[in-house]
Amino acid sequence: MDFEEPNARPVSHEFLAVVLAGFGDQLDPLTSDHGGDPCPKALLPVANRPMIDFPLTWLEQSGITEVLLICPTAHRTSISHHIHSDTSSSSYPSLHVDVQTYDESPDEPVGTCFVLKHFSSRIQRDFVILPCDFIPPEDLPLSLLLNKYRVESNWDGAIITSCWLKAHGVDKSTVPEEWGQMRSSVPILWDKKSGTLLHIDTADDYDRNSDELEIRMSLLSRYPVASLSSQYTDSHVYVCKRSILDVLHHKSMFDSFREEFLPWLCKIQYQNSRQGKYGLALKSMTTKEAHALALRHSTLFGGSTLAQDSSWRNYGSPSLKPVTFSVPSSPTRPDVEPLTGLKIGIVVHGSVFSGRVNNIATLLEVNRQVLSRTSYTPPTDPDNRALIDAKSQISSDSMIGSSTKIGERATIKCSVIGRHCVIGKMSRIAGCVLLDHCVIEDGAKLEGCILGRNTRVGPKAELVRSLTQAGYDVEAGGEFATIRNEKLEVSDWTAGPEGRGFGEMSSGDESDNE
Amino acid sequence: MSSNSQPQHKPRTPSLLLQANGPSQNDPPPTGAPTKSQKQMTKAERREVQERQRAAKAAKVTASGPQSGGPLAKPQHPSSSTSSQPKKTGRGSESPVQSRASTAAGSSGLPNKSTKESKAAAATAEEDAAVRSRGLRIFSHFALQKPTGHIAKGNVHPAIVRLGLMFAEFKICGANARCIATLSVFKRVIQDYTTPPNNTLSRHLMTHLSVQISHLVSARPMSVTMGNAIRQLKMEISGSDIDLPEQDAKDALCGKIDNYIRDRIIIADQVIQETAMRKIHDGDVVLTYARSSVVQKVLLEAWAGGTRFSVIVVDSRPMLEGKRLLSALVSAAIPCTYLLLPALGSVISEVSIVLIGAHSIHSNGAVFSRAGTALVAMMAKQHAIPVVVCCETYKFSEGVRLDSFTKNELAPSGDSFSCFPRNRSPASLIIQNQLNLEILNPLYDLTPPCSITAVVTEAGVIPPDSISSIPLALGRSV
Repeated sequence: MDFEEPNARPVSHEFLAVVLAGFGDQLDPLTSDHGGDPCPKALLPVANRPMIDFPLTWLEQSGITEVLLICPTAHRTSISHHIHSDTSSSSYPSLHVDVQTYDESPDEPVGTCFVLKHFSSRIQRDFVILPCDFIPPEDLPLSLLLNKYRVESNWDGAIITSCWLKAHGVDKSTVPEEWGQMRSSVPILWDKKSGTLLHIDTADDYDRNSDELEIRMSLLSRYPVASLSSQYTDSHVYVCKRSILDVLHHKSMFDSFREEFLPWLCKIQYQNSRQGKYGLALKSMTTKEAHALALRHSTLFGGSTLAQDSSWRNYGSPSLKPVTFSVPSSPTRPDVEPLTGLKIGIVVHGSVFSGRVNNIATLLEVNRQVLSRTSYTPPTDPDNRALIDAKSQISSDSMIGSSTKIGERATIKCSVIGRHCVIGKMSRIAGCVLLDHCVIEDGAKLEGCILGRNTRVGPKAELVRSLTQAGYDVEAGGEFATIRNEKLEVSDWTAGPEGRGFGEMSSGDESDNE
Repeated sequence: MSSNSQPQHKPRTPSLLLQANGPSQNDPPPTGAPTKSQKQMTKAERREVQERQRAAKAAKVTASGPQSGGPLAKPQHPSSSTSSQPKKTGRGSESPVQSRASTAAGSSGLPNKSTKESKAAAATAEEDAAVRSRGLRIFSHFALQKPTGHIAKGNVHPAIVRLGLMFAEFKICGANARCIATLSVFKRVIQDYTTPPNNTLSRHLMTHLSVQISHLVSARPMSVTMGNAIRQLKMEISGSDIDLPEQDAKDALCGKIDNYIRDRIIIADQVIQETAMRKIHDGDVVLTYARSSVVQKVLLEAWAGGTRFSVIVVDSRPMLEGKRLLSALVSAAIPCTYLLLPALGSVISEVSIVLIGAHSIHSNGAVFSRAGTALVAMMAKQHAIPVVVCCETYKFSEGVRLDSFTKNELAPSGDSFSCFPRNRSPASLIIQNQLNLEILNPLYDLTPPCSITAVVTEAGVIPPDSISSIPLALGRSV
């Protein structure tokens, strides 16, 4: 018998996906420990699917198979268990996920740059950086970004391709201020025709000069037709060339990739001094030379427009003045020195994106968006069905997890309820997100809240726009006033029998946000 | 013609319009009557009927898909058997049956409400089908299905994926460029390749390469140059020694690829440059069309050699490759004139020689080149101006090509069709495919041998008809 082995060595994979799972400081009570077990941000469910599911399925669809997942040491077991477990809901058959840890504590958040530097030895090819809290819009496939990078790395010398999505409109008043800003867009300058990102206005630039946007003339002379907008937010998805990591090692003071390194890299495109210093490190000889000869023979290559060709300036005669005005622009905008240029590509996508799910407001908003796209149908499984009382009123824009028991006369509107929850009789839940295993006793009223895992809400309690940490126990309501705009955290052992009002509770914004 | 039509035809056309309203004729299709009506209707009327039938077909497919799949299937079979008769009559008889079947299905088995819904759906679907553009009516075989959306199937090397993208987006364009790019990438593929156990390099590498080649072909149809080069490569692979260790065999193959590029393209270009240079004299006006890498080299070399001539660059949309040639020539300080193809007639009388490049050249002497070359050659010939084609021998294709319609491609769109109004950006002036407008830009055309005076190859200057004797003369098979 002859066992035909398939071609043993697979084709070398093009990209490595680096998924960064942080602590989630801004999602604070939800990501704090549940009695010793960590609640990683990556596993926080959005519409009853763990958050990390979304970028990983997105990766699968685009054909990338190698994933390097970096998470804090404390979260390693839970995340690794989730990813490598065999249950069908959380397995990614074509992905090969390598979970690596980085020592980090919630008090000192570590920027992306440090993490990348630390793991640069494991990253040996072009890579894609993805945050774990990115919910990709449905009409944006990752292969769009990858194709743009593939073409441009040979054509223009692209070193990064980034993706910017239209920011959600500022939506006041539904959430308290301190739960975080949904929109965090920065003004950017980019060239539409060639898809080049030219300038990002960072917070430092804003501090330095809040009235004006400072742009270099060399930028404008290279890209005279540029677009400026402040409507886009960075998706933090970057397709990068390997040589970036070498440059990163030189720049040890950079902490955040998005806020410091990327704007710095944008400046390399037109600042000749920086190009001189870092240009060689960034250009990898193989991709250029592979096609240098072919590109020289290509008919649509080379030949800058007459206005931009520097040798033109030697000819002063008026007949040689740029005649581009009467000539329509050519189909492909010629690139300035394409064989030696560096470029930060940008893909601007129009679909509305509420931001990465890294603060509470966005979490609520994203859940709401998912709910608006789905509609509730009672579960077909008879066991599950039996748990949901017929007399309960569940609006069609809610989502109920499996094995959740809903008592009679319960009213659920526009909410996401996790698995294995118990909702008592006569309770009213509107616009909330309940994670798994919550217990809501009879008569409770919840509005606009997010309850962590295993929260227990006592009978007749009222919670408006509050958050609870996993495992919190809300006392029964009644003579106490409703809890409003508060983040309820389980203090270790300092809380006395009075329950609320102790420990690390932070009372919310008192301004009336209704 | 329409006055001769028998009275039964008149109600027939309105009945097709009423197809959505209800079954008006339930009798079996009279195949005799449609035959006469088809022949006697004018062409326009026939086309109209055909359109309506096509729309009805689309409506039937979209509207009554799941519901009436069963009852529809049966009436379709007899209709398809009757339509095995001459095509025209078959089309005429088939679609009334189908339309009647759809209405029959719509009205028979379903309650009134859903009939109305299906009718309404059929009506909107009909509109949709009409609204949706049907693609090109003629030369629809020029267009390629959009390939870049899909993920590469099979074991495609990432460099091939990138190359496919560059081809599809016309970043690498031109026969020589594509061939060089393909061969360079194949070198990488060969170097990254490992022979699986129980297999030999010579046999398995071919199948491995075929996967890559089919990916490239799906991005953009293969050029003749690529085909010739790949055929040569396959011959080398099959001829490689089995006993050689793998790395040596791979290095030998890469060396052969390098030699091919060097001999058949680079050095051939140099020989062509020297030969064609001698055709250009001081004071000549050289006309060239679009951009050929060889012609560009010839002109630059001739200028560098001291001959003082001037160049007229003729260009055409949508590619506007002549602009690139223009800037390359101008940066070498060659005096140039630039004009678009329609203006050729005004300058042709001043031209002394026409130099054009080729995508491929066929055994009957026909030259397949960028669309517009045939016009230039024909005009020059009319004015008794020598037309010289600069072409390497590896562009020779064995077949005989008589027209440019059987195999061609569409040029990428993207040029603005008007400069005015100036206050709008050029990007917004681009004409796109619209409701009633399909843009057809063939990429290549065929210059017949009668318009060509001579072909300059690295084997010498030959008349176009004797291309096929070159391989024999050089002792090669290709």
